[in-house]
Amino acid sequence: MRARFPVKLAAAAAATALLATASACASDGGGGEEPEGTTGGTLRVFLSEPDSLMPSGANDSESNQVITEIYRGLTKNVIEGGVENIIAESIESEDNITWNIQLKEGFTFTNGEPVDADSFIRAWNYAAYGPNAQDGAGFFERIVGFGEMQADPPEAEELSGVTKVDDYSFTVELSAPFVGFPQTVAYQSFLPLAEACLADVDACNEMPISNGPYMLASAWEHDVQVALVKNPDYIGEDTVFADEIIMRIFESSDAAYAAFQGDELDVIDQIPAERLAEAEAQFADGLFQTANNSLTYLGIPFYDERFEDVRIRQAFSLAIDRQAIIDAALGGTQRAASGWVSPLFEGQRDAACTTCEYDPERAAALLEEAGGWEGELTLTANAGADHETWMQALGDQLNQNLGIEYTLDVGQQFAEYLATLENQDAVGPFRLGWGPDYALMETYLTHLYATDQSSNYGFYSNPQFDDLVAQGDSAPTEQEAIALYQQAEDILNEDMVTIPLWWGTQSVLYNPDVVAELNFNPIDYEDYGLTTMAAGG
Amino acid sequence: MGRYVIRRLLQFVPTVLGAMFVLHYLTSVAIQFTGNPVRAIFGDRTPPQSVLENLTRRLGLGDPCLEQPFNPCFSLFGKRLDAIFLHLDFGTDFNERAVTDIVAGALPHTARLTLIAILFELVVGIIVGVLAGLRNGGFWDYLVKVSTVLLIAVPVLVLGLLVRDFVNVKFGNVLRGVDGMPELISRGFFAPTWSSNHPWASLLMPGLVLGALSLATVARLTRASLLENVRADYVRTARAKGLASNRVVGVHTLRNSLIPVVTFLGTDLGALMGGAVVTEGIFSVPGIGRQVFAAIFTGETTVVIGIVTMLVLVYLIASLAVDMLYAVLDPRIRYD
Repeated sequence: MRARFPVKLAAAAAATALLATASACASDGGGGEEPEGTTGGTLRVFLSEPDSLMPSGANDSESNQVITEIYRGLTKNVIEGGVENIIAESIESEDNITWNIQLKEGFTFTNGEPVDADSFIRAWNYAAYGPNAQDGAGFFERIVGFGEMQADPPEAEELSGVTKVDDYSFTVELSAPFVGFPQTVAYQSFLPLAEACLADVDACNEMPISNGPYMLASAWEHDVQVALVKNPDYIGEDTVFADEIIMRIFESSDAAYAAFQGDELDVIDQIPAERLAEAEAQFADGLFQTANNSLTYLGIPFYDERFEDVRIRQAFSLAIDRQAIIDAALGGTQRAASGWVSPLFEGQRDAACTTCEYDPERAAALLEEAGGWEGELTLTANAGADHETWMQALGDQLNQNLGIEYTLDVGQQFAEYLATLENQDAVGPFRLGWGPDYALMETYLTHLYATDQSSNYGFYSNPQFDDLVAQGDSAPTEQEAIALYQQAEDILNEDMVTIPLWWGTQSVLYNPDVVAELNFNPIDYEDYGLTTMAAGG
Repeated sequence: MGRYVIRRLLQFVPTVLGAMFVLHYLTSVAIQFTGNPVRAIFGDRTPPQSVLENLTRRLGLGDPCLEQPFNPCFSLFGKRLDAIFLHLDFGTDFNERAVTDIVAGALPHTARLTLIAILFELVVGIIVGVLAGLRNGGFWDYLVKVSTVLLIAVPVLVLGLLVRDFVNVKFGNVLRGVDGMPELISRGFFAPTWSSNHPWASLLMPGLVLGALSLATVARLTRASLLENVRADYVRTARAKGLASNRVVGVHTLRNSLIPVVTFLGTDLGALMGGAVVTEGIFSVPGIGRQVFAAIFTGETTVVIGIVTMLVLVYLIASLAVDMLYAVLDPRIRYD
């Protein structure tokens, strides 16, 4: 009875223990270690109402939890980080621009249609076509022809960069080299779709025609449950365990926690913050905690000349005692950030940020060297998400260590807040978060810091950084790419591009009488199909 | 009677239209000031501009008036009325699920919950009210008075959480540990939260919690009204001519005492349907209240307009029904 990456809620020391455990798993996990536990039985898990069960129709993690079980794509994210081929026999490229994809034969959809090159091509064309307004359309940005598909009115109905070679192979042409293409296609927008599914999308959303190890037992009961059973025709080698997975839909984690206590749920992956201490005491055998990949950071408006001197930005970062804020205002479970890439990712280095530790003297000295700070500082965050308390703690630390007077602006709703940032109207450092899309450290770099990228809210621009990321994208192997990405991260450190604050924590409660070993990968988090069952559960 | 009903029904039209415009205007102003709610779907990750625009248009929020503060967006309102009344199209939520489907899915749960609550408050409320009223100053009277004050004083949030965590979870766990306990009891009536395996049984506790506050009001109204009427001349006459006590209380006194109770129940029906938000949340009942609550948070204007308009209709019909009931209960009232 253990969970992979187990971290007991013991102390702050858990942070280092985590890395040790994670890397241990990475080494033995790949060696074909047999998972503990048995197959069969029913697993009842917590879910919030998903946005959509059409793979490209949703961006939310709830939809992903269902889609991960009922669909299989070219590749899949795995525990050790990175991806493994599922339906893809091979995904290869000479130049990282043209990717040749060879498929395994024999996979079918639940209606009997074959999973072939056409099934991928039609799904991708559907997702990227502007008028279909798919939430996940943005992930096709790198493929040639995306712009024409999205134009208003659209200039094409098919991605010109995707070409069928024969029934079980096709090629994809990217607009720029990208070494991470095999990782990217693990994302749900890239899953294949049956012809019958696209013929009636609404019906396929309610009762998906899927191709994974599980399928829906009956149509999606909105706000009630999604019931999955094993798909008898699935031929993939990735073994799944439970016979049935009942994903029960709750409005709040508070009600779900009551259901867990009352034996109506076997796994709950959102524990209400105020119940965490109680859960620790009561369910110590079934509590699994790990740092997750959600980064909280303080963005810097580079268009504001007060922040022009890098020493100012470094001083701010050094003046923040991250651990103190985590302990006092956030319940103690987050992990202080010391870099820009998640600790669960290959290529992450613990000391990537050299000015992220707490050093008030150095902070004050740097600020003085840079000529001090004049006037008032405004710290902004969006409203309605409990950011007030920790932002205030952070402001108090800046005030105490650097003598800066600050005000908080936490009045804007999220959409309005983002519009303010997009229009370069931020008047001071701003809170934002980020989660990864695919299992390559580049997912933490390009979108956030490359020139003119959509989520580069600080409007940072450094040609050297852009160049290193581009070199990484064109590198012949992933290892070489990671080395270049690490150099790019060093530039972020030199420029102190943002102030990384902390990584979130994923806490999962499970009933050890039912679950033997929880399966958790860095991108999709819990994978319930690969979760093993306790004997007799 | 018929003409009265028709006149009342005609009055529904401006009321509903007015309510819809207020909803339309408030939700539009909210968007004008707080930005495009569709953007929030994507979280921290900025989608390509074209993706955002396509989705915004598709969800019916592409009208440029939504970017001009205080613009009443008459043309958008016209389009909405046109879709709703001429095509019976109430729009979709952000997941492109039709509002009519959402209501059809959620309404049965809320209706059941409301029914249980109303039955509970009606039956228990009137019985204890009568008991207390007939034994004015006695043990029953004090018991009812004290316990109803307690019920009124405890907010439904607190009561709901207490019942769920102590009765359904803790006591329920004891029941679930007993061999041979029927599932209907251990996982139905005492289910920790609403369960689709026992869609009626697991609504019992939420229904009792929801009805508790109104029950106190019903009991007190019945008691006060009964106390007033037992001293009335017609009751004395009825007793004097030798009618059995049951008949005096049951037919003559109680019938007249129920007018305030019926008035209260009429408005309470609407309050229960719309106000079940808290109870539905605590017990995870997939009803109307939960849908409105979620829609307000995500800025799904079509859902808010659709469901709240429906609730307005429920209120109107309930109040009409109450007015009709007056005529049944009190022979002096006539609608001509």
